[in-house]
Amino acid sequence: MLRPRIMPCLLVHNGGLYKTVGFGQPKYVGDPLNAVRIFNEKEVDELMVIDIDASRIGQEPDYKLIANLALECRMPLCYGGGVKTVEQFDRIIGLGVEKVAVSSAAVDSPELVSNAASRVGNQSVVVVIDVKKTGFFKKYEVVTLNATQRTGLEPSVWAAKLQQLGAGEIVLNSVDRDGEMKGYDFDLIDSVRNAISTPLTVLGGAGSVEDIRGLVNRYGIIGAAAGSLFVFKGKYRAVLINYPSREEKAGIY
Amino acid sequence: MRNFQICSRCVMDTTDSAIVFDANGVCDHCVTFDTKVKPKWHTGERGVQELRALVDAIKVSGKGKDFDCIIGMSGGIDSSYLTYIATEYGLRPLVFHVDAGWNTQVAVNNIEKLVDKLGLDLYTEVIDWQEMRDLQLSYFKSGVPHIDTPQDHAFFATMYKFAEQHNIKYILTGANLSTECIRNPIEWMYYQSDSIQLRDIHAKFGTRPLANYPVTSILRHKIWLPYIKGIKVVRPLNMVEYDKAAAGKLLTDLFEWQPYPQKHFESRFTRFYEGFWLPKKFGFDTRKVQYSSLIVTGQMTREDALEKLKLPVLDDATIRQEFEYVANKLEISTTELQSYLDAPNKTYRDYKSQETIYMLGAKAMKALGLEIGGKR
Amino acid sequence: MITIVDYGLGNVQAFANIYKRLDVPVAFAKTANDLTGATHIVLPGVGAFDWAMERLEASGMRTTLDRLVLEEGKHVLGICVGMQMMARRSDEGSAAGLGWFDAEVKRFDEAHIQGRTHLPHMGWNDVHPLDTLDLFQEMGPDVRFYFLHSYYFAPNDSGNVLALADYGDRFACAVRHQNIYGVQFHPEKSHSWGIQLLKNFARL
Repeated sequence: MLRPRIMPCLLVHNGGLYKTVGFGQPKYVGDPLNAVRIFNEKEVDELMVIDIDASRIGQEPDYKLIANLALECRMPLCYGGGVKTVEQFDRIIGLGVEKVAVSSAAVDSPELVSNAASRVGNQSVVVVIDVKKTGFFKKYEVVTLNATQRTGLEPSVWAAKLQQLGAGEIVLNSVDRDGEMKGYDFDLIDSVRNAISTPLTVLGGAGSVEDIRGLVNRYGIIGAAAGSLFVFKGKYRAVLINYPSREEKAGIY
Repeated sequence: MRNFQICSRCVMDTTDSAIVFDANGVCDHCVTFDTKVKPKWHTGERGVQELRALVDAIKVSGKGKDFDCIIGMSGGIDSSYLTYIATEYGLRPLVFHVDAGWNTQVAVNNIEKLVDKLGLDLYTEVIDWQEMRDLQLSYFKSGVPHIDTPQDHAFFATMYKFAEQHNIKYILTGANLSTECIRNPIEWMYYQSDSIQLRDIHAKFGTRPLANYPVTSILRHKIWLPYIKGIKVVRPLNMVEYDKAAAGKLLTDLFEWQPYPQKHFESRFTRFYEGFWLPKKFGFDTRKVQYSSLIVTGQMTREDALEKLKLPVLDDATIRQEFEYVANKLEISTTELQSYLDAPNKTYRDYKSQETIYMLGAKAMKALGLEIGGKR
Repeated sequence: MITIVDYGLGNVQAFANIYKRLDVPVAFAKTANDLTGATHIVLPGVGAFDWAMERLEASGMRTTLDRLVLEEGKHVLGICVGMQMMARRSDEGSAAGLGWFDAEVKRFDEAHIQGRTHLPHMGWNDVHPLDTLDLFQEMGPDVRFYFLHSYYFAPNDSGNVLALADYGDRFACAVRHQNIYGVQFHPEKSHSWGIQLLKNFARL
């Protein structure tokens, strides 16, 4: 029986691991390599590592870091940040990464998605959709470049288009819920879930293992990603890498 | 060159070049323990009384605050057992952990288990990794034995800073005579709080400024903090019966706490340092110190210690993997790391230090009966 | 010598890393020459079927691999698309496969997959080995691996099936024909189960 995927999502900024709230207020979490190593030993289902600077400042991905992280992962790794060309997809996968994620690049040139899928296979092409409630009516809108750019795109429409183009997985990220640890945004997830049949992973808002259980109860097979939950503990948001044990996971699904 | 000699009672030997043996072949570590440490060390009924008095004082000082003391927690057996004792006595500690980038999964898991099951609050200070890395590399390049200083120094510096900021008067550490009454010779592990030495080594070999890395100094935490700010560092494990094996079992039974194969192996760097670097480069095996403490406190037999010392701490395959891991993490090649291993051995005397202050201070402390069990 | 075929596709580094941790020496093969001395061959693969076959042919190793596997009986383990390439053909493309198995590669029937998530088959799924020898030794009662694919291997000889998995339909996720093994999942990314499987392969 296929299981829902429960995965930590780590953000890299200036070579270090950071965690944000609403995509702002970055808090230093430490060395990426050590965090990934600990997650590997905790046998996490898979891992996402996103470089939050690269696209915004027009930088190339840090290939050395990616290679070192891949070395430590005995589970699938998805890397995102600064990817704009099919060659970069190829290169990153060649370093030992299973999936490559794009966000703003897909908005700028949707054909990147289909070209990359032809080259590396659609199972390795992930598109991240960052969503914020914008405008007077607070409607869901796709945003990019660390939530600094509005696109005018509606998330479920955009997600359906991406599936058509050949994306193998959609990661739906709620900017408003980021770092809040108050629960996932079910309204948003409902709208996108009903529009596509590719694997969907959601990120933004998970505050407890109960939130993940609730997500799985509602949607069945889904990817439950979390940043703060697996990296912080307690009221002082003390950095402590954590992840449900095998027994705890068995209780989630 | 001295002939090799090993103590007839513990297992310290002439790899500690300052060691002295009496007519019976008993070393000065043992003699110091018998004459200076043991008489002032009270567990049993008197220890419990002392502990109760301390606990009461801590509770009073913490009234109305979110927590009454902070406990430096590494996830190792000493700090874990201390945390348990503290809560048993009704204290409300903040568990303080310093992440220097080398945490092992077991350590992190142990901290999580204790914090969750005891319902305690946790605070983690994450040391800026790029600065830490640069500082650690500086120590490698300096050729001195005490390359674990960057981790240790940061640990104490941040704890004191936090206590000062939050007006907490008591810092509890897991330091204890039961497993540490015999200390690492200064030749092996020089004072980690010596900021003059730290800054000198950094100045000579560092490539980036220490902007975020927390620097403390011996004067600050031996004089300023305790006597001016009234922040005390206490060692409650010295007031209770502390049997390592029993403590480990209790922690496992109550909290699913996982043991480590050797003391200090909660940090991957320390494991590399004590398990490979120190013995290989300098011939210093810290197990001798740890086992000797257990021998004089009746927790281990000399025969058992000698048996264990026959085998290396880490097997060859593990050494190779750890060597590569450390090189990778420090962003250098294994060839470069090897070059530091092969370079000439230096001592703390090759760099600036506050050694004289330590010697004077230690003498004064002992004369005033303020401290027992110092390094030499 | 364990030799990993490096024809430009598949996570060769991950396999090397696992064997390194196990202290088992490995070699990479980029050319036919590099295959000399190979006793156990790992054939990884990701991406599209046609592209993978094309890359393998372009590497110049095809003929040598055929000889080593079909004539000299060297052990070979195909992973994911590496396994699929061992069939005669695939629904995914038009290229001919290696034909080491009398089998085809078919696309999952989405109509049989419950729930909203369909393809690719992505995530950790239970694997049911038909025996616990060979590749599946010492795995414990609860065997699972990471899958990432939209097409599955369909052997015509049911005797080739080594393990089964369920995704809409039941399908062969591990196959064997004499010295030739194929697994649909990714042992190099399946934690302890994967490490054990790769260890078992090296022991054959």
